[in-house]
Formats: sequence, C-alpha cells, structure tokens
Amino acid sequence: MVALETEHLTKDYAVGFWRPRPYRALDDLTLRIESNEVFGFLGPNGAGKTTTLKLLTQLIYPTSGRISIFGRSPGDPEVRRRIGFLPEAPYFYDYLTAEELLAYFGGLFGLRGQACRARAAQLLDRVGIGGERRLPLRKFSKGMLQRVGLAQAILNQPDIVFLDEPMSGLDPLGRRDVRALILELRDRGCTVFFSSHILSDAEALCSRVGIIVGGQLVTAGSLSDILAFDVSGWEIVVADLDPAVLDDFTGRVRRATRISDRRYALEAPAQTEPERLVADLRARGGRFISLNPIRSTLEDFFVQQVAARRAQSPAGRFMPEG
Amino acid sequence: MSDGRTSGRPPGRTVARLLAVAAVLWAAALALQAARDQRYPALDVESDLLYLRAGPTLPRLALGFDGLLADLYWIRAIQHYGDTRLSTKPDKQYRLLYPLLDLVTTLDPRFTVAYRFGAIFLAEPYPDGPGRADLAIGLLERGLRADPARWQYAQDAGFVYYWWAQDYKAAAAWFDRAARIEGAPWWLRSMAASTLAQGGDRRSSRQLWRQLYETAEHEWVKNNAQLKLMQLDALDGMDALAGLVRRYTTDTGRFPDSWAALGALGWLREIPTDPSGTAFVLDRSQPGGVAVAPSSPLYPIPAAFTKKAGPTS
Amino acid sequence: MARVIGLVAYHVFKESVRDKVLYNLVLFAILLIAASYLIGQMTAGQDVKIIKDLGLAASSVFGLFMAVFIGVGLVWKEVDRRSVYNLLVKPIRRHEFIIGKFLGLAGTLLVNLAVMAAALYVVLALMAWRQPALVKASVDAPVLDSGLLVAFFLLYVQLLVVTSVAICFSTFSSPMLSAAFTVGLYVVGHFNADLAHFEHVVDSPAAAWLAKALYYLLPNLAPFDVKMAVVHGQAVPALFVLFTAGYGVLYAAAMITLAALIFSRRDFK
Repeated sequence: MVALETEHLTKDYAVGFWRPRPYRALDDLTLRIESNEVFGFLGPNGAGKTTTLKLLTQLIYPTSGRISIFGRSPGDPEVRRRIGFLPEAPYFYDYLTAEELLAYFGGLFGLRGQACRARAAQLLDRVGIGGERRLPLRKFSKGMLQRVGLAQAILNQPDIVFLDEPMSGLDPLGRRDVRALILELRDRGCTVFFSSHILSDAEALCSRVGIIVGGQLVTAGSLSDILAFDVSGWEIVVADLDPAVLDDFTGRVRRATRISDRRYALEAPAQTEPERLVADLRARGGRFISLNPIRSTLEDFFVQQVAARRAQSPAGRFMPEG
Repeated sequence: MSDGRTSGRPPGRTVARLLAVAAVLWAAALALQAARDQRYPALDVESDLLYLRAGPTLPRLALGFDGLLADLYWIRAIQHYGDTRLSTKPDKQYRLLYPLLDLVTTLDPRFTVAYRFGAIFLAEPYPDGPGRADLAIGLLERGLRADPARWQYAQDAGFVYYWWAQDYKAAAAWFDRAARIEGAPWWLRSMAASTLAQGGDRRSSRQLWRQLYETAEHEWVKNNAQLKLMQLDALDGMDALAGLVRRYTTDTGRFPDSWAALGALGWLREIPTDPSGTAFVLDRSQPGGVAVAPSSPLYPIPAAFTKKAGPTS
Repeated sequence: MARVIGLVAYHVFKESVRDKVLYNLVLFAILLIAASYLIGQMTAGQDVKIIKDLGLAASSVFGLFMAVFIGVGLVWKEVDRRSVYNLLVKPIRRHEFIIGKFLGLAGTLLVNLAVMAAALYVVLALMAWRQPALVKASVDAPVLDSGLLVAFFLLYVQLLVVTSVAICFSTFSSPMLSAAFTVGLYVVGHFNADLAHFEHVVDSPAAAWLAKALYYLLPNLAPFDVKMAVVHGQAVPALFVLFTAGYGVLYAAAMITLAALIFSRRDFK
C-alpha cells in the first residue's frame, strides 16, 4: 500500500518587495513511499527538505502538484489523526510543563482525563525525560526539547511520522536512542519519513533514500541500488616503519598519511593484493596494525551529486522574471 | 490519488463563502447600529458636554490636538444646529449651540467661522435659533480680544444690536469701531452715520443687509442676508396691499374676506404673492390687515422690521 | 469542533494566568482603585463620583491595554516562534485555532474586568458604610449603583471589538505594527460618528464620500462609553444596551471571520 505519494510537487516563493521574483524552493518532486518504509530524505542545507516536509503537513501550500497521504489530501482531518510531525528545532509553550503539553495535544486527538495523562507519562518515559515531566518547558535544554518533540510526534500512535532533522541537538547517547525509536516504529508497522544531512544515520536506518539538491530530487532508491559496493581501494595501517623504507613503496601505494612517529596509514589501489603488500611491509620491519577495504560511501556519492548539480545551474533557483 | 481536491490553498469558493459570512455579519452590525441611532440619537453628544466645560485649562488638556478638537466640535455644532432646526419636535431649544461654539472658540480662539456663525444664529429667535443676542455679543467680544484686527466681528456685533436688540446707538458705536480697524471697508463709516440718524427704517436696513449679502464669505451668510432682503421686499408689498385693504374697508364698511373681493373691484389682477412666490394672506389681527402666509419660507417676518423708523436712545 | 476550540481557549486563559506581567497589571489596577478611596477623602462631597470615575477609567485603560497587547501577540507569537507548527498538524482546523484564541482572550478579559469591578464595589461599599449621610446627600446616583454594571458590560463588549481587531492584525502583521493600528482604530472609533457628518464641512465630494465609507467600515466605539451617564445616575435604556452590544458582537464576529480567512490561506515559512 502506498503511504505517501507526491506528483510534480512544486513550491515557489516570491522574494523581494517591490518586484517580487519567484524563488523555486522545490521543483517537480515526484515520490512514492510504500507503507512501513523508513525513508531518508537527504540533502545539503537549504536544499528544500524542510519545505517538502511543510508541504506534506500542509503548513504551506504548493504552487502546483499534488500530495496524497494514504490516498487523501494532507489537510484532511482523518489524515491528521494518523500523522506525527517533529519540526526542526521544535519550540513549545514556555508556560506549560512537558506533561501539560502532551495532555493538550492529546486532548486534540480526543484523549481525555486519566487515559490522556497516562499516555503522556508513558511517552515521556519512553523518550527518556520522564523525570522532568513536571518541569516548565522554558527550563528545557535543546536536547530535552527534541525529546519532547519526539514524544508529541508519536502521541497518537501515527501510521506515518515526519521527522525533520530528528538527531539535531542530541548527544551521541540521544542519537542512539532516536535510532532505536525509529527502528521500533518501523517494527510496529509505522512509515517513517525523515530528513537529515547526517549520512551515517541514513546508512544505518533507511530502506530507501532520496537525495535532494537545489530543490530538485536527484535520485531515489534503495541504498544498495544507489551505491556501488565495490571496493575502491585498501587502507593499511602500519607502525614502526622507517620513512626511508616507505619511499621504496611509492609505486605500490597511492597515498601515505603519517599518523604519528613511524606510524602510517597507507592507501593502495583496488587491484593490489593486500596480503602481499602487508607481507612485504612486515618483511621490511613494519608492524601490521589493520587492513580495511575502502568502499564508496554515501558521503562520496552525495558530494559528487552536489558538485555535479551545482555545476549544472550556477545561477541558482531564481526563476526568470515574467 | 483518489481525493479529488488538490492539496492547495482553500479553494476560491471557500474564500468567497467566508467573505460573504463576514460581510453579512458586518451588515447586520450596521443594521443594529442604525436601529439604535434612530431611537437614541442624542446620547453621544450630550454625554461629552455634561462633563466638558470650556475653560482656560481645556486647551492644555487637549495635549496639542486643540486644533483638531476644535474642528471636531465645530462639525458637531453645525450638526446640532441643523438637526435641531430640521427636527419636527415643537420644543427647539438649541441648548448645545452656545456651549459647543464656546468650546470651539476656547480651543481655537481664531476659529473665525465659528464666531460669525454664532453671531447670526445664536441671536436668531425661535424657531430658527435660541434667540440669545447677549451670547452672540459675548462670543464676538471674545473674538475681538483674541483677534483685534478682525473688523468683521465688530460689524457682526453692530448687526446684532441693530437687528435683534434694536439698540441703534450701540449699533452705530459698533459700526464706528469696526470702521476704525485697518482694512475695514469704506461703507462701514457711512453705515455708522446712517444708523445713528435713521436706525430702524427700512431703507437703512435694506442697505445693511445688501452690504452683508455682497461681502459674505460663506454661503449661509449670503443666504441669510438674501432671506432678510426678501422679507424687506415682502414688507413693501404688504404696505401697498394694506393701502388697498384700508380703502376697501372704508368703502364697504367691512373687512375683505378674500383677495377675490378686491379683484372683483378691479384693484387686483391676480392673487398677490410675496417674493418667494407664496400668496399673502388677509389677517384681521395684523395692523395692516395683510400678513405673510405661515407656509411661506419668509415666515415669520421679524418684529424688528415692522417697527417704525426713527432715532431712538 | 467545540472541544478543540475549547482547548485552545483554555490554554490562552492558562497562559494569561501564569503570566507574571498580567498579574502585576491587575494588581496595579486594584491598587489604583483602592487608592481612589484615599483621594476621595480629600475632596468633600464629590468623592463618590471621583471614585466611580477613576474606577471606570482605570478599568477601561487596563482593559484596553490587555486587549491590545495580548491580542496582537496571540497569533503572531505562535507563528514567529513556530510553536504553531506542532499545533496545526494535529486534528485542528485553522479557523478553530483563531476562534479559540479569541474566546480565550475574551475569557481572560471577562475575569480581569470582573475583578476590577469587584474591587470598585468594595471601595464603594466601604464609602457607603463609613460615611452614609454625607455621601447620600451629594450624589446623583446611588453609591452601590447597579448601573455601574451596565458600564462594565458595555466596556467589555467594546474590548471584544478591540480584541477582534487586534487578532485580525495579528494574523499577518508584527506586534508593533498591529498594536499601532489597533490603538489607532480605537481612537478613530471614538470619533467615528463625526465622520458621518464630514460632508457638511468639507467641500470636496470625494473626501466626504471617503469619510462616509470609513464611517461604515470602522468600528463605532463611542456609544459603548456610558461612564458619564452612569456616574450621573442617568438611566441607560435597555434597548440601547441591547442594540449596542449586538453591534459589537456582530462586528467582532465579522473581524474574526476575516482573521480566520487570512490565517487559513497563509504559508508558514
């Protein structure tokens, strides 16, 4: 079943006061997301990720194109009941406590009284701030607010959650928690659509990713389709190596990086037989530390795509006037 | 996508519907307001004046907006005069006219038109005004204190004395005073002289009003003067008709019962009308037997006109 | 729908209750009213009138202050700080949000005005108790006049109109500008009736026509001010109160409808 579908979704903003020029924040986005997917929406800052999320939650209206969530318009109240949303760097109400905030939102979903409060407490525990639930939100740190944001995003046990930079503001422990939460959501049958510019998260979590650069979707598909998992080289870390000895290996080694005194990271091309190289290095007095294959990562792909896209349209996303 | 609606902005028809709702609500509000204003018109002006009395502190209280406030109260003064004059109530007191004009001239002592308006309409007797010549004079005197070069105030004061108080000596004194102010027109001097000599007779009255008519700065001053001139002409006509009535009464021994009676004798070709085109009426109670019809715009002829001429003390 | 609106309104009220600034304001208003008792001691005879005048004036000023300064921020703050994002993605329609905000502020104003009215009555009761003979000899209206309630009621409806205007501006304009416009409209609203008579004093028909159009478009706030009449013991006719209050409520409803329209078409960048 299709959870989310967009068709030629475009958003223009009028920029400037006297003679507004249209700025294309999102250009012709066509996506299709199946139920129970974890979809990573990746792109550099300003690419249009947040714009897309706001369109999907109908905080802004498209200039053209269509959106369908479970077959309905995003503004449909039935859809609203099944959605969760975490905005980037969320802000809530200073004068409420975390518990009161969730009770407020729960009330909007029709939860009442004891059931509502119980659910609020349970969720706050789940995101790790159960102890602070009676604290006014004005006293919350950025990371704590992020957790509250997650809690309110899943308050109604949604069928699809939209998360805008869910890891932002969190320390490594927090990020690990969020990852666990996302996987848990997936296990429960929820569809997760999250945006990020941190690629390692996507690698760890997503079944599919989409990459957006300059308002345009560059590619979308499963990770294994996008990346070639060929080995592109070998990295050997050696210690106790004489610099003079290193010179002898210049032909076989693509690059040598000095880590510390007599300790080097050597990069050899893919065709090398790594075992032979290691043996030769040891023969010349080096002490073998580690051997790792170099694979093309999402980051490489990403950087390459961004550069290509930027070369293509140096003028940027201002539309021609008129 | 099964949903026929796009995910765009609320469609045009929703916008139109909401605008229509807003318009209906607003129109209903205005209807209620109109209903209220119809039943209770006076409630707003009165409440201000119950409290606000002109005095030296008022301009300071106005926080620098005294000019604007003066304009505001001027508008209300005119409105009050107009409403009262046009109303069908029998008891027309023009109660707020002086207080309002007083307020206006206290806030802005150089608000010329307010003084001149007051000069004319404060002195007008019922039903066209409150009939307070004393208030008119007081206002004009204040005006002269604030603006001694304004000869028009002195001239207006002369008019009030001449016309409503019939105090020709005082009137002459005021005209003389006006004539001495620099910039005053030449005829004020002669006006002073003739007032003293023959104040009250129709010819000098006519001269007075003609001068006012020709030098009027405002439409309503002109109209007022024109009305007075027409009334004077009416009086001339009445005098002539009174002569005919006297002859008839002497000849037949009784008062004529209609104009036709005189017409039958060949003394009149048609029913006599006053300068406004309304027929005169025969009225036994009047000294000459002739009067202006109550339906005529010239009615009533002020008593000042019918007084006999002659210098008085 | 009512439940959702009720939730939004409840939270507006809750925020005002927890807002220290508001507490201090109301406290100040009460102190002022209490102080009027002392002032009244100093002027023989006219003290009851002065206390009533001061009490009504203070309530009017503070009420206006609240209506404007809370009103212009009600929508704007949520949008500016982006707390509105969380809210609008829930099952709540945009017009429910606006109506809820309005009703919440209406409730806040009601409570605050009630408190100030109560303070005034307490001071008046104290006066009546302490100096009954002196007081009764010199006043036009009874000391504990129920007519005061009429003045408070019309003041409340007037503030509802001001609030609706403030909220309407709040949907698209920053608090500073909105406050300026709202206060401006309040001032013009008091002279609204005069706009209708402009044609008698201006020569240009275009100016007269414009003045007449503004007379209909802008709120006519002067009739809501019956302080003078009440203090002097003049009866305010029931039908007058009904029509005037009706006008106010309908006008406020029209403004809120407009606000809902503007808000529902907005992009939240």
